[in-house]
Amino acid sequence: MSQTMMVLASAHGGPLFSLMGLEVNSITTTTWGIMAVLFALCAVATRKLEIMPTRKSQVALELVLDTLITFLGSIMGSKEKARKYFPLLGSLFFTILISNYSGLLPGFGHTPGLQAPTSALSFTAALALIVFFTTHIQGVKSKGLAYFKHFISPHPAMLPMNLMEELVKPLSLSLRLYGNIFGEETLVASIFAMAPLFVPLPFMFLGVFFGFIQALVFTLLTATYLASATAEAH
Amino acid sequence: MTNEAFFALGAALAIGLATFGPGIGQGLAAGRAFEAIARQPEATGDIRTLLILALAFMEALCIFGLLIAFMLFGKIG
Repeated sequence: MSQTMMVLASAHGGPLFSLMGLEVNSITTTTWGIMAVLFALCAVATRKLEIMPTRKSQVALELVLDTLITFLGSIMGSKEKARKYFPLLGSLFFTILISNYSGLLPGFGHTPGLQAPTSALSFTAALALIVFFTTHIQGVKSKGLAYFKHFISPHPAMLPMNLMEELVKPLSLSLRLYGNIFGEETLVASIFAMAPLFVPLPFMFLGVFFGFIQALVFTLLTATYLASATAEAH
Repeated sequence: MTNEAFFALGAALAIGLATFGPGIGQGLAAGRAFEAIARQPEATGDIRTLLILALAFMEALCIFGLLIAFMLFGKIG
C-alpha cells in the first residue's frame, strides 16, 4: 500500500538531479517555472502602483482579484474576512490554476523536467497540509482554547467522529485535486495514443474547464474550512 | 484466473461502482439546483456556488474509487 502511494506521489521520470541532498524531479522544476511566471506577472502589474489605475495590467489584475475577493466574501460571510485570508486563498487559487493549465502545454508530461505539479499526489498533499495547519492555527488564534470545544460538540462521545472528520478533510482535498488532474491527463494521453489528430481536442477543452473548476473548488473549500474554524460562537 | 486478472477485474469494478453512486447523486443535485434557479432566478449566484461545493464533495467519493483502481492497476505486471 505505502509503496504504491510512493509511486503515485512521485514524478513520472523520477529524480532529475539532487540539490544539497534533496531530490529534484520534474514537479519541482515545473513549480519553479510557475513561481517565476507568477512573480513576473505580479511584478509587471504592480510596477508604479496608482490609486486611480490607468495602466491596463494593473486594472486587469485589480478586476480579477476584486471579483475573487467578492466571491470568497459571499462564502465566508464578510468581505473583510475574505480579505484577511486572501494572501493564502489567492495564492492557492492562482498556483493551482496555472499548474493545472501547465499540463495542457505541448510536451508536458512526457518531457523530463516538465510535468503539471498538480498531477502528482505529493504536491497536492503539501497544499492540503498547509490548509490543514492554517485552519487549526487560525481557529485557535481567533477563539483561543474554546476552539477545541467543537471537537466534543454536540456530545463528548462524538470526539472520534469529529477527529476523523478533521483528518479526512486534507485527505479528500488532496485526492480530489490529484485524481481529477491526473485522471484528465491520463485520459488525454490515452486518447492521443489512439487517435492523435483532432480527437483529443474536446477532451482538452474539458481539461481547461475542469482545471478552473478544481482550482475554484480547492479555494472554496479552504475558505469554508477557515470560515467555520474562525466563526464566532453561536 | 491468474492474480493479474483478479487485479484488473478489481480495478474495473472499483472505478465502475465508484462512479455509479456519485453519478446519480450529482444528477439529482444538479437537477434540483436547476429547478431552484428556474423558480428563483435572482438566487442564481448563491445556488451555483452551493451546487459546486456539493458536487465537489460527491466527486471526492468517485476519486477514492479512481485511486483504488490506480493502486490495483499498479499491481499488474
